[in-house]
Amino acid sequence: MAIVRPEMKSYIWLQTTDGSIQEVEEEVAMFCPMICREVLQTGMGSSKNYAIKLPQRVNPAVLGLILDYCRFHQLPGHSNKELKTYDEKFIRLDTKNLCELTSAADSLQLRPLVDLTSRALARIIEGKTPEEIRETFHLPDDLTEEEKLEPLRNMTDDPRIRLLNRLYARKRKELKEREKVKNVEVAEEHMDKRSVDDLLSFINGGDGDSKCVRSAKNKKKNRRRKDQPRNSASNNDNENREKETESLNSAHYNGAVEDVSSSNRALMLQDSSSATLLSNLDFDDADIDDGLDPALKEEIDREVEDFARRLNSVWPERMQEIYALGQERRLLQIHGNSSVARYTGKRNGSSMNVAHLFYRKLILIVFL
Amino acid sequence: MDKSADEDFITDLPQSIIEIILTKLPIRDAVRTSILSSKWRYKWATLTQLVFDDNCVSPFNDRIAAENKLVKFITRFLFLHEGPIHKFTLSTYYLQSSPDIDQWLLFLSRKGIKELVLEVGEDEWFRAPSCLFACLKLTSLELLRCELDPPPEFGGFSCLKYLNLQQVLVAPEVIENLISGCPLLESLTLSYFDSLALTVRAPNLKYLKLEGEFKDICLEYTPLLVVISVAMYMTDEKTEHFEQSSGCNFDKFLGGVPCLERLTGQIYFTKYMSIGYELGKVPLTYDHLKLIQLYQVSFEDMKEILVVLRLILSSPNLQELHISSSSNAITAFEASDLNFWETDCPTGCTLKRLKTVKISDLSGVPHEMEFLKFLLKNSPALEVMSILPGIYVSCGKLNVVIELLRFRRASPKAEIIFIQDQI
Repeated sequence: MAIVRPEMKSYIWLQTTDGSIQEVEEEVAMFCPMICREVLQTGMGSSKNYAIKLPQRVNPAVLGLILDYCRFHQLPGHSNKELKTYDEKFIRLDTKNLCELTSAADSLQLRPLVDLTSRALARIIEGKTPEEIRETFHLPDDLTEEEKLEPLRNMTDDPRIRLLNRLYARKRKELKEREKVKNVEVAEEHMDKRSVDDLLSFINGGDGDSKCVRSAKNKKKNRRRKDQPRNSASNNDNENREKETESLNSAHYNGAVEDVSSSNRALMLQDSSSATLLSNLDFDDADIDDGLDPALKEEIDREVEDFARRLNSVWPERMQEIYALGQERRLLQIHGNSSVARYTGKRNGSSMNVAHLFYRKLILIVFL
Repeated sequence: MDKSADEDFITDLPQSIIEIILTKLPIRDAVRTSILSSKWRYKWATLTQLVFDDNCVSPFNDRIAAENKLVKFITRFLFLHEGPIHKFTLSTYYLQSSPDIDQWLLFLSRKGIKELVLEVGEDEWFRAPSCLFACLKLTSLELLRCELDPPPEFGGFSCLKYLNLQQVLVAPEVIENLISGCPLLESLTLSYFDSLALTVRAPNLKYLKLEGEFKDICLEYTPLLVVISVAMYMTDEKTEHFEQSSGCNFDKFLGGVPCLERLTGQIYFTKYMSIGYELGKVPLTYDHLKLIQLYQVSFEDMKEILVVLRLILSSPNLQELHISSSSNAITAFEASDLNFWETDCPTGCTLKRLKTVKISDLSGVPHEMEFLKFLLKNSPALEVMSILPGIYVSCGKLNVVIELLRFRRASPKAEIIFIQDQI
């Protein structure tokens, strides 16, 4: 691997993570900024014992490729066309090698090569369907069907989504009938605690109090309408930031727009002003949630889906209560003192609602 | 190949590389990666360089539907986006001015936007909202077809380096204040302005490109200017107006650019520069000027010829000269002042570094030929002079060549290449 030239050339010694050491012509090695810096700052690389230790991502095979690249590019006198032709040929590698090469080039801070390989990878990804991309890169297909159908994906105009959403809506209605009381595993560590708070305070702004009041009042009225909005809620993603958009989007794409609340949502969609959007949202979410805060509902969604992946296991009822209590506590912190009284008053009711929602969603996912 | 043994190599690349890859994809494909796998769900959401155009939506015949789709796409995208946005480009034909754009700009102003390109549809010009002027981290701003009306307290973009305004409706003092208010401005492009009288004070300006109808341009303080490119449109009324304008345009324009390296003037540029010429002061020497390109020079106007000569003679290090002529041999009247070349023309001047000369649209009028003679006589280092005759010159070509043959050449290496039309 080390090409020893008879002329007086200086070499730099490089060591890869597997321990093998090679010597490389100085001007070639110095083309990599990371090596250049090492040599200049620490003086390493001048002999075998003081070989520069290359970052972990650089294995010997890919190092060879990189050095070929450097060897060609550091020579002055190549026309732009020649360089381009060389580059085009250089990146004709399989995807595994391309990825390793990109990674290694990045760790050596060889930006032109990173750009070149990234462009090659982008060209591979561009225009392919998700299945094809997964095939090419051996990505695990580990999103649940629900997650795939999220409005997030709707941004890419897939017409299948509308149809599938309708099917899901119908299915959920059916499943509602078959509810039994079962205990659900609950306490999943929240991933985005902070974002819940942020979102809540953003939505609520100064409306925390009025919302609670409204929740209490509209609770009964909304029992009837729970299906439709809950379907849309079930379609929601776990991530907090998308909650509002997605609940709106789901409602939009759901075929059956029967209720006032749903049509409210549809109306909201026409409205381009985001301020109006959000204030409407406050109002509507209060209508749906059995008196639960939308953020709470989203958290529940998230937990349910996480759980669904792990399948059913039976947990004591107490776990669920503890969780529900934990939810309340967090809500109390968010809404401040004025709402405390109202919430503590409703504590028991809410915990039952939590359980109900939870387990409804679980069933849906399990059966789908 | 055993699928289970193959690993996924791409997902675990550092996020910075993933972002580079996603940035090289059209934004629609970048968002599509969200359903590849659970780890890929939000890799796209932290992109800092966003480019939106009409390819984000499938082609529609109905423009309104396309517009709605595009608005929804961008709005949802921005809503789901995380982290700062450094570069935002919106270039669309479907989308007309709309309140959504205002909201996006407000959103961007909170995300630390640095480079902004905005080009919207043609029917109704977009009126820039005040939040645009709150994007104080802007380093590059490019606007097409919009109305600018900054609030009175707006002091300029202190980080702006690149400004490109095309077809922008704005009051002249606003532009001047904008330019003065951006002390770091290095590149200024103003296109398709109407009747703009402009005074430019920009201590760091290096690149200037102007295109349109300018009433008056005064480069008052631009000491670092390196490249100038001007395409000056003029109507005939304007030329009369110019005759009465005070001051020497040449001095006003090129009087304060000692570092100039490239000058390109098109359409009526030399005409503009010739106005007030006789009032000119002692010319500045452009020691760094290496390339002069002057298009549509009228060799029938003595003043324009004087402008060209002055430019050439003030540039001792000139290496390349491109001139295109707007004269027409068929309609040219009898040339006067031909004595100028014998008597008043500065003698003893040598263009020591001039290597390449390209003449195009040559029609063979006397002044043109005298000019060529002058060049050949005074360029000891000349290597190539290529001449492209004008398309209307058919029978006069031979005469031109015969005359050219006679001219004395100061440079032994000079090649005169007469380009035949490729028909």
